[in-house]
Amino acid sequence: MDTQLMLGNEAVARGAWEAGVQVAAAYPGTPSTEIVTNLARYDGVYAEWSTNEKVAYEVAFGAAMGGARALTAMKSAGGSVAADPLISSVYTGVNGGLVVCLAGDPGMASGMTEQDDRYFGRMSSMPMLEPADSQECYEYAKRAFAMSEEFDVPVMVRLSIQTAHQKSIVHFDGEVAAGEGAGPAGLTRPAPERRPPDRKTEKYCLLPKFSRPLHRSLLERVERLRQFAEASAASGDLAQVVPAAGPVLLQGGGAAKIGVVSAGAAYLSAREALPGAAFLKLGMIHPLPVEAIRAFAQTVDRLLVVEELEPYLEEQILAAGIACEGKQWFPQWGELTAVRVGQGFYAAGLDLPRWADEKAAEDATVIPRPPVLCTGCPHRGMATAMKKLNLDVHGDIGCYDLTTLPPVSHMHSAVEMGASIPMEQGFMRAGGSDTGSLAVIGDSTFLHSGLTGLLNAVHQRTNMTLLIQDNSITAMTGGQTNPGNERTLAGAETKPVDIAGICKALGVEQIEVVDPYDYEACLQALKAGLAYEGPAVIITNRPCMLFPRKIGGEAFTVDEDVCNACQQCMKLGCPSLSHMEAEHKGRHKVAIDEETCTGCSLCEQLCRPGAISKAKAGVA
Amino acid sequence: MSAETRTGGLVAGAAAGDAAARHYHGGVVDDIMVVGVGGQGVIVAAAVIADTAMLHGGLDVKLSETRGMSQRGGSVSSHIRIGETVVAPSISPGEVDYLLAFESAEGLRATPSVVSGGVAIVNTQQIVPPLASQGDMSYPFDAAERMAQGDRRVIVVDGNGIAQEVGDLKVAGIVLVGALSTHLPFDVETWHAAIVRNVPPKWKDLNFTAFAAGREVGA
Repeated sequence: MDTQLMLGNEAVARGAWEAGVQVAAAYPGTPSTEIVTNLARYDGVYAEWSTNEKVAYEVAFGAAMGGARALTAMKSAGGSVAADPLISSVYTGVNGGLVVCLAGDPGMASGMTEQDDRYFGRMSSMPMLEPADSQECYEYAKRAFAMSEEFDVPVMVRLSIQTAHQKSIVHFDGEVAAGEGAGPAGLTRPAPERRPPDRKTEKYCLLPKFSRPLHRSLLERVERLRQFAEASAASGDLAQVVPAAGPVLLQGGGAAKIGVVSAGAAYLSAREALPGAAFLKLGMIHPLPVEAIRAFAQTVDRLLVVEELEPYLEEQILAAGIACEGKQWFPQWGELTAVRVGQGFYAAGLDLPRWADEKAAEDATVIPRPPVLCTGCPHRGMATAMKKLNLDVHGDIGCYDLTTLPPVSHMHSAVEMGASIPMEQGFMRAGGSDTGSLAVIGDSTFLHSGLTGLLNAVHQRTNMTLLIQDNSITAMTGGQTNPGNERTLAGAETKPVDIAGICKALGVEQIEVVDPYDYEACLQALKAGLAYEGPAVIITNRPCMLFPRKIGGEAFTVDEDVCNACQQCMKLGCPSLSHMEAEHKGRHKVAIDEETCTGCSLCEQLCRPGAISKAKAGVA
Repeated sequence: MSAETRTGGLVAGAAAGDAAARHYHGGVVDDIMVVGVGGQGVIVAAAVIADTAMLHGGLDVKLSETRGMSQRGGSVSSHIRIGETVVAPSISPGEVDYLLAFESAEGLRATPSVVSGGVAIVNTQQIVPPLASQGDMSYPFDAAERMAQGDRRVIVVDGNGIAQEVGDLKVAGIVLVGALSTHLPFDVETWHAAIVRNVPPKWKDLNFTAFAAGREVGA
């Protein structure tokens, strides 16, 4: 089969595989995760979930230096984590091709910020390609490897959530034998050739003596890349001109030749919003083909720049002395959907009846349904206990962030990977809180960037408490493995890390492992940790309910006659608990959905009148 | 299948003004939205619909996957756009031709997105979110009736009941896809081929049965 409906991320993986990628390393992060998940399924690729994005980058970088073609992928925040090797590797250049997939999240469907990753390309001088649909994801992944080796530089494939998580049709170019079914199973490719490994001190040792000439040679490469971008755009290769269907009508009469410069997901939105205009669709966004943009601008009356987030293109176009309009019409925040771009065009005076009226996407009177901790989630007991003790809670990045919102609402910071521990240390140095405070982190985030923070806290003899909610998986991104697991991404057996042992080795003397399904034990462990003078660690020991396999258990039920509607159980925010019609003193009694209850028993432990018991026992 | 027949078949009932504004650049695009609650199988259903359109041949197809932490019981939605040329992967507000709602309140939430005269197929299943027990907002048990108050055609399907009748609650999603299929101009064989791509082999026959049962009640 030479055509397939593919996720953008799947198409990147397919293109990279066809291009001969041999090593792929990443830390999971929405919306980049599926690139490496898919690469792991292809024949002849070593793929790993690394401990963090910097490590992943360095693994891929080392593989490229060793002569293989290598890829790393990350979300925006991961780009920040990996920024050090990202910038340095542009100085050194590569041997085998190195492709860096950086996936942004305008609109923050799951990201903590909506940073504009394109500035990484400018800051580091790394060339950047930006695909708009899955076909381009496939093609640009291949192109990126070829460019990387041609110009001796890592190449970035810049994605956004709209591109990474859209499915569209990919036509394969037939270089690889077709396989059966929709997945990569059964596909074969010619064995990729490994280049001889590099052993070049002056290229890979960034001592000032070598770095200074490397920076000058980098600037020469940037100039060659600029010429490449222009030549490519002139031939309609990595930039295409879409001619106008005709002049665009203006509000109040008249018409004008409108030209739009755009790239990636924003381009699709802009074309959807204004299909009749002329477009210059950019595929290479660093270095920019400025002369191609100038030539395009000369063919139109007004040049509009449509891009998500910052005025990255607009400022460079203006700096080149080309008049254009951009952020004065189009928002600098959020995903640029067709309707938001359309309203920008409308504001700019274009006559577009489709976008003239604001239409509601949904009925705002319907009760919201935000994501919640799953039934039986091992994070719930501790979250409820921390709320009960009214602690200042400095959280981290993981599913436990869902308890930031009602009904648990107990978390007071959740900023970036690993922040919990040093922020709590600083908070304690500032004097702490009257009711007590602590840091909360999950196993995967602790192993990603918690260790150095804890080491620092111990070394500084900080009086602080750390709760590690160890559910033995990277849960939030969909259940990826981490060093706490017995198997790697590739399925190989490995030795799971001993988190308590790490803490001990780092110098923590007070370590308590607690069952998070035992509410009283949670309370006691928190109190003991807070009372301890010096760094104390509490570790919970129940696995995630969803990954690696869904866990079920014996369901509980409520005796309606005994329930006095005290609402203690409702503080848990469990999706299997809901109010029944029956009331007691004006408050609804509670029912348990026995289909979904997994029997964690926390509600039974919190129930004051003893109305909750195992469903089967009740029947007997 | 020509653009004209699809204009008649798929966008029938859409207000002429809306359709003209939306499609004036030439091609006709049919916009299908699938909504529900994380864990209900919305993503698989959307993949079956999109794969069917692709396997039909000659059509462009784009599918925009749910954003965010969909597996944690939150609202989920998938957009499928089918036409000669599809540009943006997401459907714009008010332009959904067919809404397939796995859960009643989610159907009601998405109803303003359905074009005037469009079709909404809504499952009778009601999943009350934990928030309904906490705050001031209550769960809309009358969601299906409220959906029908506008000028859209609302078809209520007991997807879960039918799934249990044919053998397993797990296939409720395919029952609903079967109901939707009666409104789309694709052959049953093509639907079957798409189902095979998206369900485990051992569940194939049960899914075909569920699909057929859905077709009985979808029109």
